[in-house]
Amino acid sequence: MRTSLSRRRLLGTTAAGLGLAAAGLPRLGRAAEQTVRIGFLAPMSGDYVDWGLPGLYGCEIWAENVNAQGGLKIGGDTYKIEFVGYDDEAETDKALQGAKKLVLEDEVKFILMLGGNYSGVQNFVNQEKMLVSTLLPSDMSPDTPYLIAPCETHPFYNVTGVEWLAKNRPELKTAAMVYPDDSLGLPSLATYRAAFEAEGIKIVTEKAYPDEASADFTALTTALLAAKPDILCLDTCGAGAVSQITEQAFLQGYKGQMISCTLDYYKQVTEKTSKEFMEGFIFQFPNFDDPMMQKDQINFPDPKGFYDAYVKKYPDAWSAVSWEYPAIMVTWADAAQKAGSVEPMKVLEAMKASGTSPHVFGKGEWWGTEVLGVDNALIADWPVVVMRDGMPTIAEFRSIPDWMSKHTDLLIKHMTDLKQMPDQRA
Amino acid sequence: MLELILQTCVNALVASSFTALVAVGLVLIFGVMGIVNFAHGELYMTGAFAVWYLTSALGWPFLLAVAAAILLVAAIGAVMERLLFRPMRGNPLGGLIMSVGTLFILQVLALELGGGTGRAKHVTPPWRGVIEVFGIEGVTVPVQRLAVIGISVALLGGLWLFLHRTRMGWALRACAQDPEAAALQGISIDRFSLLAMVLGAGLAGAAGAVMAPLLPVEPSMGHSVIVTAFIVIIVGGIGSVEGAVIAAILYTFFDTFVTTFLDGTIASILGLLIMMLVLVIRPTGIMGVREKV
Amino acid sequence: MSAARPLAALVLALALVAIPFLVKPYQLDIAIFLLINILVVVSYRLVTITGEWSLAHVVMMGVGGYASALLAKRAGLEFWLSMPLAALFTASVAFILSFPLFRMKAFYFLIGSFAAGEAIRLTWIRFYDPFGGPKGLKLIPPPELSLPWLEEPLNLGRPVSYYFLTMLIVGLSLLVLWRIERSRIGLTLQAIHWRDVLAESIGVNTWRYRTLAHVVASFFAAVAGALLAHYVGAVTPTRFGLHIMLYVLVWVIVGGTRTFYGPILGVVTLSILDEFIREFDEYRPLIYGLILILTVRFLPHGLESIVLRAIAAWRERSPGVSRMPVGE
Repeated sequence: MRTSLSRRRLLGTTAAGLGLAAAGLPRLGRAAEQTVRIGFLAPMSGDYVDWGLPGLYGCEIWAENVNAQGGLKIGGDTYKIEFVGYDDEAETDKALQGAKKLVLEDEVKFILMLGGNYSGVQNFVNQEKMLVSTLLPSDMSPDTPYLIAPCETHPFYNVTGVEWLAKNRPELKTAAMVYPDDSLGLPSLATYRAAFEAEGIKIVTEKAYPDEASADFTALTTALLAAKPDILCLDTCGAGAVSQITEQAFLQGYKGQMISCTLDYYKQVTEKTSKEFMEGFIFQFPNFDDPMMQKDQINFPDPKGFYDAYVKKYPDAWSAVSWEYPAIMVTWADAAQKAGSVEPMKVLEAMKASGTSPHVFGKGEWWGTEVLGVDNALIADWPVVVMRDGMPTIAEFRSIPDWMSKHTDLLIKHMTDLKQMPDQRA
Repeated sequence: MLELILQTCVNALVASSFTALVAVGLVLIFGVMGIVNFAHGELYMTGAFAVWYLTSALGWPFLLAVAAAILLVAAIGAVMERLLFRPMRGNPLGGLIMSVGTLFILQVLALELGGGTGRAKHVTPPWRGVIEVFGIEGVTVPVQRLAVIGISVALLGGLWLFLHRTRMGWALRACAQDPEAAALQGISIDRFSLLAMVLGAGLAGAAGAVMAPLLPVEPSMGHSVIVTAFIVIIVGGIGSVEGAVIAAILYTFFDTFVTTFLDGTIASILGLLIMMLVLVIRPTGIMGVREKV
Repeated sequence: MSAARPLAALVLALALVAIPFLVKPYQLDIAIFLLINILVVVSYRLVTITGEWSLAHVVMMGVGGYASALLAKRAGLEFWLSMPLAALFTASVAFILSFPLFRMKAFYFLIGSFAAGEAIRLTWIRFYDPFGGPKGLKLIPPPELSLPWLEEPLNLGRPVSYYFLTMLIVGLSLLVLWRIERSRIGLTLQAIHWRDVLAESIGVNTWRYRTLAHVVASFFAAVAGALLAHYVGAVTPTRFGLHIMLYVLVWVIVGGTRTFYGPILGVVTLSILDEFIREFDEYRPLIYGLILILTVRFLPHGLESIVLRAIAAWRERSPGVSRMPVGE
């Protein structure tokens, strides 16, 4: 349990105020040390708090590390990093209000958003030419030139899990899918449909539920298992839904393969089911102390150290968002250093100049014109994580760009069917 | 197919038992005090969090933790009645705001108790086995869920006996059905408001406590419950404990069957429409009484 | 007639006009949203004075936002047409809903209205065409003003011009709502609240008056919804969910519903407070909850009761002033 009442952030703001005052003083002859502020515009209260707050904690750990080493050297100057948070309550109008404060008051140079409510800030961002990142590329369209997805390209990386499964267990031929009827679930459904079709796996049943809170997962699981699938696919269900369906599958005697976008609560789910039951469960989000994270292709400073520091400070809070926002910062820092500037448009230009940027899991390539209407999503290798002996283990890094070069047409077909293409999203 | 239908019945039975616990508590509180307790879902959530904390942090055995959680939430109910609702007697809107304020506070406290990151908590079920019912393979009920049914039935049965076999229970029912008439008969509204709140909160806490091993325990888990409970007590008729139980069973069976055989979104929309229909035909619910002049 | 009232009105008007030039740009956005919310709470009060508390009001606001957005995007209508048409459409939706809803009373009505609203909201989520599903609609065009002497139409979507536009529309709407309340209709509505059965026995058709209040209130909620939609440029189903409705309830009750200005006091005070406690991030709801409890505990009749008491005290001390009825 934490004890301080947001003391760190209160001090941070006060320090920022002092910093502002100091900025007005004449500069002494020493090398310029400056602070660059980064906006963090995501839910920090309410139902979606677990999609935002743990990410801010991750960013703060990353910033502490960077600042402890003196800061970032960009264009001859050294910059300390400071995060300024604003609770957007996952609403469009609060996001707009927050974006204005962050850009006009706090003068941030980059804004990290969860996404999903980007439509509220779109006009303002375009007008201010502010660089904004999202975890959800479904916010993207030809009208969002300044919105980038440098880390999580949900849901396209899910193809890697299916591909790996088909390669390693070719005898599995049928799948049952359950999906949330929302902006996460539907593009994900399209992606899984495409991925299964590419491997010749037949989907035997699809079940939707409206929202996690009111869904009856016991009944849903009964219905899914009644279709006797080889593979039970959980699409991008919310963390709680994944836990409940998995537990139900265990209790209702399911013996087959399971695959899911996330398995945030692997530890707790394993406790509720069994190691044996969880063996071979495939998902897409690794722990950063995984030995495979030590490979050269990883673009993240000391993943294990970061993981250890995080779980020490916030026990039981590690999830995908813990590292995704900092991973975006790594890509941003690289571009800022290349640009020699923290100015948003210069950084964006530097990112896109060569068509590639460092992505947390390898060399990334800017992609998306055909599917998103804009090539602002950074795709690279993505880990296929498999439960082994109760622990998530990276089985292999598989390439999203390779899959796309073979099967983009399938993806477009299924995205169109589910009305998820940019011109279909009104 | 028969298996699927039977399994769905078993699933529905579990859902209806904990829904009934929550709804009956809400009926008591609304009936006696006239207050729409928006924090009722949070009392349920608090029961679940208490069980999580007591079993995982303090290592208490599950049943003991459930008992303690019920007492704790009942105590919170008592505090709410004395400090928040009693000064609002005759001011139902003030009471509503009090409950909304409590809702916010309990959510943040739960968030903090859970480490401040909004991550869901998991309670490892104390009973792991699965029992076949009707002697058919493929129709199973986990022991943990049987326990939910068992504890719910025991609590509701106890409540029924209390309400129908004791003088105090009779007086409480009189209050719930018609507080004004009850007051005229010399029944102390203060005393029975406190009793209703303690019982209502305790039942909500019990529902949360027994469901804790079956659901992710998180600060927002009360939202869905409160909406379902409101629908149930409306369909059942306000002030009627029996109506709430019958409506809980009808609603959850409907919802579970539609979810299994069609899908969850359709189940939600149809559920709302049917509730509207019930209200259009019987504007005071199945067991409700017509408004007096 | 005292000179205090026109003077106060003048000061208020000047302050409202001066706001865009005094506050920081993002605070101007807060002011715009606040003006919109003022229209939401004042129109909501029209429903509540009949004694019924609807949980569908925010959804009605959404119907207005969605309708105006669709008329602007799909039919290419200008804001000046799409907004009033959307409001009329919403009023007719409210009229249709009145048939089932006003068969119910009190708590049944509360939950019945919630169900009706939720069914509408689920429709937006479920049907991508034309509602855009869970992500809603975006790129809603801002209002433009074509004037003969201007080469290009004037874009009113910028904060300062939108602030004045909102102020004008909200101001006019409040005036209309105020006139309604002071009319015979308004008095009948209040009579219905106090003595439902009695009113019926002397021949007042309560159903008709309740429906009228609901329809008019929904009309203005829709105006507020359209104002929000065309400023943010987006509408989403979550923006009109139960938690937002809960905030509206809180604003109205904390402010008080006996006077016209009670709900305005509530929304203004609580919104400003909410901005002050932003610093506390995840603790914000806790502080907000405590404030709610303390306010209602010590001001059970809302913030308006302070004003009512102050006015009464002031009258006591200056007996020369004519005793105009305040509030109701």
